Amino acid sequence: MARTEPFQIRIADLRERYRPQREWAEGRGLLLILAHFLTGSGAGAWLFAVPLGSDPGLVIGFFLAALGAVGHLLFLGRPERFWRMATRMGSSWISRGLVGLSLFLVTAFIYLVLLFVAEHKTTLGAILLALSVLGALWTIIYKGFVWASSKGIPLWNTPLVPALYIAYALRGGAAVLILLAGLGTQLGAVEPLEPIKLWLAVSTAVLVLIYLEVMRGSGMTALRSVNLLLFGKVALPFYVGAVLFGLIVPIGIGSFAYFDHVPSGLLALVGLLSLLGDLSIIYCIARAGLYRPLPA
Amino acid sequence: MRYGMVIDLKKCIGCTGCALVCKTENATPPGILWLRVVKQESGKYPQVRRVSVPLQCMHCAEPPCLEVCPTGATFQHPNGIVDIDAEQCVGCRYCMMACPYDQRFFLSAERTYFPGHTTPFEQAGYQRHQAGVVSKCNFCTPRLNRGLEPACVANCMSRARTFGDLDEPNSEVSKLIRDRGGYQLYPELGTNPSIYYLPP
Ligand code: SF4
Ligand code: SF4
Repeated sequence: MARTEPFQIRIADLRERYRPQREWAEGRGLLLILAHFLTGSGAGAWLFAVPLGSDPGLVIGFFLAALGAVGHLLFLGRPERFWRMATRMGSSWISRGLVGLSLFLVTAFIYLVLLFVAEHKTTLGAILLALSVLGALWTIIYKGFVWASSKGIPLWNTPLVPALYIAYALRGGAAVLILLAGLGTQLGAVEPLEPIKLWLAVSTAVLVLIYLEVMRGSGMTALRSVNLLLFGKVALPFYVGAVLFGLIVPIGIGSFAYFDHVPSGLLALVGLLSLLGDLSIIYCIARAGLYRPLPA
Repeated sequence: MRYGMVIDLKKCIGCTGCALVCKTENATPPGILWLRVVKQESGKYPQVRRVSVPLQCMHCAEPPCLEVCPTGATFQHPNGIVDIDAEQCVGCRYCMMACPYDQRFFLSAERTYFPGHTTPFEQAGYQRHQAGVVSKCNFCTPRLNRGLEPACVANCMSRARTFGDLDEPNSEVSKLIRDRGGYQLYPELGTNPSIYYLPP
């Protein structure tokens, strides 16, 4: 059977009363989802690695964010013009994000060079570290606002989305360090993270529930999107990825860790599944996005 | 001066001639539909009604697509028309997510109507379209610059479309909106579209 061209699917969509958005979720749109996940988790890992003094965490955090930046570039229709995206800081969250991510990547890279091949305990090192933390925070915060300022998609157009994305980026960062620890890298250094990770997992679960409940009452289009998440074509990645891997497993094993020792293999598994859960929720929210029906 | 359009749903017969003439005038590639006509049914048997509603960029006075564009590729002419400078567009498609009327199209790759073959019309027309960027209706700005009306207005056989200055209280469009109760789509979103519909 002949493969259906994406543009034929798009034309078929125009006959739908509630048209799905596809540009940010299918084909090269998957790169964008991956990019948001990688930059968020990378910046989150950097933020936790700094106070914990985890050098491997710093390296992995930087590389994840750098990989995410490449994903962002490859997603663009005209990547060679990417520099133009920094010109509308006043109104566009993508512009703001590009500046924040660049600040993070450049300062983090120079700091890592100082850390591994020169002296980093200098004034320059301290300034670079402070700027990299600022860039990482900026990177974590801007993402949700990109989605939330998309007026065309009611499911995203809510202040709850930035809160959700910040929580997921922090969770992702903690999960990266826990995964590293589970794989035998600086196990002791991440011990303080375990209660933080559990707290983040529980609070994100609550946030997801609030988000879904609020969106159910935010008009027909948002309600349809929530139904897609809970009962429609996005239900499988939502329940398996976002709920089971991302919430139930980390909360279950995290609670168990309060009472008993968790073997490192299990720790690595929690980190990995938690990351899969984070990726899933970004994917699910993107996939469930629908436009308002036209005519009104 | 703010250009706007009034579409009389009582006069529109749903022939889709405007959609076709838009394609011809702007030589848009396959899959790019700057104008489309949607059929809407309402009521219950035997009181059923079918209305044809032409849809295109609303040239919002407060365009969310412009606000989010990170490059400035989307801009607004002093006459209110919202346009795209393809040379500045990076193809991030943020504007497509921001447009509440789903009126923007992304051309991912060059496409022709006949596989492996480009007609002379396509060869000439496709020079106006870049791959990897977003495009949409521009109220036929090149025609306006030549003193002509947008192609969809000039070619509507039932004269369902009226084009003019919304800021001028005595213009044809202002009078129609006033006298016939012209309405905008999703006014609650604060976009203030420049296309008004007259009730069927
Ligand atoms: S209809 Fe959409 S593309 Fe046109 S001006 Fe309004 S927001 Fe922009
Ligand atoms: S796709 Fe082009 S016009 Fe649309 S927001 Fe991005 S740069 Fe602007």
